[in-house]
Amino acid sequence: MKYALFLGCKIPSQLPAYEASTRAVLEHLGVALVDLDFNCCGYPARNVSRDAFVVAAARNLALAERAGLDVVTPCTCCFGTLRHAIRFLGEDAALHSRVAQALAAEGLAWSGKTKVEHVLPVLARVIGVDALGAAVRAPRTGLRVAAQYGCHALRPSNVAGFDNPLAPTIFETLIGLTGATPVDWPRRLDCCGDPLHQANAPLSENITRAKISDALASGAEVMCTACPHCHLRFDGARADSPDPSIRTLLYTQLLGLAMGLPAKSLGL
Amino acid sequence: MSAALFQTTLYAALAICVAGLLWRISGWFRIRIGPDTQLITLSQRLGALFRGVVAALFGGRVVHFFGALVLDVLLQRRLYANAKLRWLGHLLIVAGFMLLLLMHALAAVVTVKLFPGYESTRAPHLFLRNLFGTMVVVGVALLLFGRWRSRRRTGLVSVRRPMAAAFLALLGFVMATGFLLEANKIASPQAFYRMARQSSGTADPTELKPLRAVWASEFGVAFDDLKEPIAAEVMAKGREMHEDDCASCHANPASAFVSYPVARALAPLAGRLDAADADTWLLYLHVLACFLGLATLPVTRFYHVLAAPVSLLVNGASPNRESSIAARASRRALAVDACVRCGICDAHCSVAPLARYLGNPYLLPSHKLIATGALADGCLLRSGHDGESRLVAEGAFLCTDCGRCTSQCPVGLDLADLWPAGRGDLVAAGLPAPAQRVQARPALAWAESLEPNSPSWQHGVADPDACYAPLSTDWLSFSRCVQCQTCTNVCPVVAHSTSPEQGVDLTPQKVMNLLRLGLRDLTLGSRMVWDCAICYQCQEHCPEGIRVADIMLELRALGMRRLGTVRSGSAPT
Repeated sequence: MKYALFLGCKIPSQLPAYEASTRAVLEHLGVALVDLDFNCCGYPARNVSRDAFVVAAARNLALAERAGLDVVTPCTCCFGTLRHAIRFLGEDAALHSRVAQALAAEGLAWSGKTKVEHVLPVLARVIGVDALGAAVRAPRTGLRVAAQYGCHALRPSNVAGFDNPLAPTIFETLIGLTGATPVDWPRRLDCCGDPLHQANAPLSENITRAKISDALASGAEVMCTACPHCHLRFDGARADSPDPSIRTLLYTQLLGLAMGLPAKSLGL
Repeated sequence: MSAALFQTTLYAALAICVAGLLWRISGWFRIRIGPDTQLITLSQRLGALFRGVVAALFGGRVVHFFGALVLDVLLQRRLYANAKLRWLGHLLIVAGFMLLLLMHALAAVVTVKLFPGYESTRAPHLFLRNLFGTMVVVGVALLLFGRWRSRRRTGLVSVRRPMAAAFLALLGFVMATGFLLEANKIASPQAFYRMARQSSGTADPTELKPLRAVWASEFGVAFDDLKEPIAAEVMAKGREMHEDDCASCHANPASAFVSYPVARALAPLAGRLDAADADTWLLYLHVLACFLGLATLPVTRFYHVLAAPVSLLVNGASPNRESSIAARASRRALAVDACVRCGICDAHCSVAPLARYLGNPYLLPSHKLIATGALADGCLLRSGHDGESRLVAEGAFLCTDCGRCTSQCPVGLDLADLWPAGRGDLVAAGLPAPAQRVQARPALAWAESLEPNSPSWQHGVADPDACYAPLSTDWLSFSRCVQCQTCTNVCPVVAHSTSPEQGVDLTPQKVMNLLRLGLRDLTLGSRMVWDCAICYQCQEHCPEGIRVADIMLELRALGMRRLGTVRSGSAPT
């Protein structure tokens, strides 16, 4: 099993533990990860120009296609953006030809072969729950964990194809495999607040706070994330505020610990 | 060259150079980049410098300091890791230039100590001078080729550098006049007679004929009166004369592997060059060009010879992130100075494809760095190019802070520390992120200040925005809206907007309704559109399958295009 690893911009610079734990866990499970000369997924440009965003995304898809690989990304927002680009390219022939022209200037092309997947479905469906369960050596029994899905993993479901957008179970299933107890919390599918951090900081804080309070009130000890934006938002809220906060753990770290990998290799 | 002229120009050039350097170095302590440095005083910055120097030389990091000196400054390991060809070019230039400076320009001070009885015309100096000069020329060629190849591969624009081109021309001129001067001296009969008068006491062509014969055939002097074959005994006599009077100071110039072939090529012109006093004016040109290079050092590319090593040493002595804000204030100003414009950061920039497609070079680190400096010292806003300031702001706020520029920079600049500081300066200068800019005025005020656009509902009129925003310009994509309010009810922005100053103006369903009414311009400056979290709850839940969030993003992109070009006379602040 071999994938091109798409880290995006946030992980290498601000959350290297996510890169370390993703590599440690996937490589331990026999997944080979290849590093390509990827650029930004295109998400920030969605505010500016649909063409520019799709060109940036398509360049990544073309690089993966040239290497004959599918893409796996630990970032939910990159996942959503790359999947959106695939959708836009599929439904707008004029856009497709403008993008193809931009790619051709670099000698690249994308014929639609590359598939983009998030780390969680790769773990749950490609490697599979049985193999994961067998790899767990040190179950985190008793740890009460809130699953933070992340918007762009779930919605729009016809783009993401991740899980049932209204009643997903994949994250809770994965948490259960580590021996920890997934907590049911009403705001589990809500936005983390991060996209508004620059545009409207007070509003962003309100959204993040509401989620943390809800998770705590539901009895969670740990907020488990699978996206650097969500993760850093909760960490940031913890650093900024005297209000009660919640410990954060990346899913790849939780799984790595349960598999008995050394904490250091998981960035802990 | 007269000693008085030489000394006057040398000291004048030195004085200009030192004054220029002092002015530029003072910038490291004057220029403020980032809102967090605005209240830092000069004495705080000098204090931080003093503490830094003491800690570097006497603290625990002294090993790192000297490590940086050897590995980063002398061996250029960061450049090696990134661009091997340019690294080789750089090393050739540094070695060739330093050796020329010490062993040729400063021969009277340095080389005489190393080589007892030094004469510039003895072995191995003829060869070495040519070798060093060739190293510089080859090094420059490698650098230019490496840069050209990288730019061609990435398709990115280079920073415009008129001074760099002028400096390159000056360097080329110094090299060319150096080789020509030497070649002319080899070929010149006039130089031969001048030397003969000194060492043999005569300049009589007939008396010197045997020696001239030897020097014409073996030393490349271009006498125009030695056409007939020379008898063997005359040559033997000439060699004797050569051994007596010349050999102690003159090696065979064929070892000057550039100048000697040039001299052979110039031979037919030797008489005319002598008549024109070429060796005098070539010397003037060569020396004065060197002094011009010295005087302009603070404003040319040559300046990086000082700024880049200082930056590498400072970073070796202590990581930027661990230093105080007073130290970082100076280090930011130094970073703007120390950039060598190699463009390696641009080639690795995560948003380079966006820069290419949007045609905005200010997304790229090397351009953004210059703009950040220009904004800090006031040049950017003084220049009055409103359009350019907008491009700078667009570039700054599209940066993803991925940090690749910092990790690849051969000069070790902490660019990731500069970008947030630069964004802060942009906000302070009235060029905030688009969302903040929009939120400064109500949606209606924006709509009223816009040039009228052909609305999508006018039958038969092509919508100019259709290609950029296919959903929000296509009636079919939103006309199914039944105003059920589901989108509004699931919207976290609506739910969490509690205070009036954060409040949404239009709910998502109202945005859809305005589109249905053909009042798209009313939505472009709306807080709802710009505060949308793009969480896709609305889109997922819409019973009519309307792509609400995708439309919100399109409206922002349209807003970026339209709000930047408001009707004259109603320009919002």
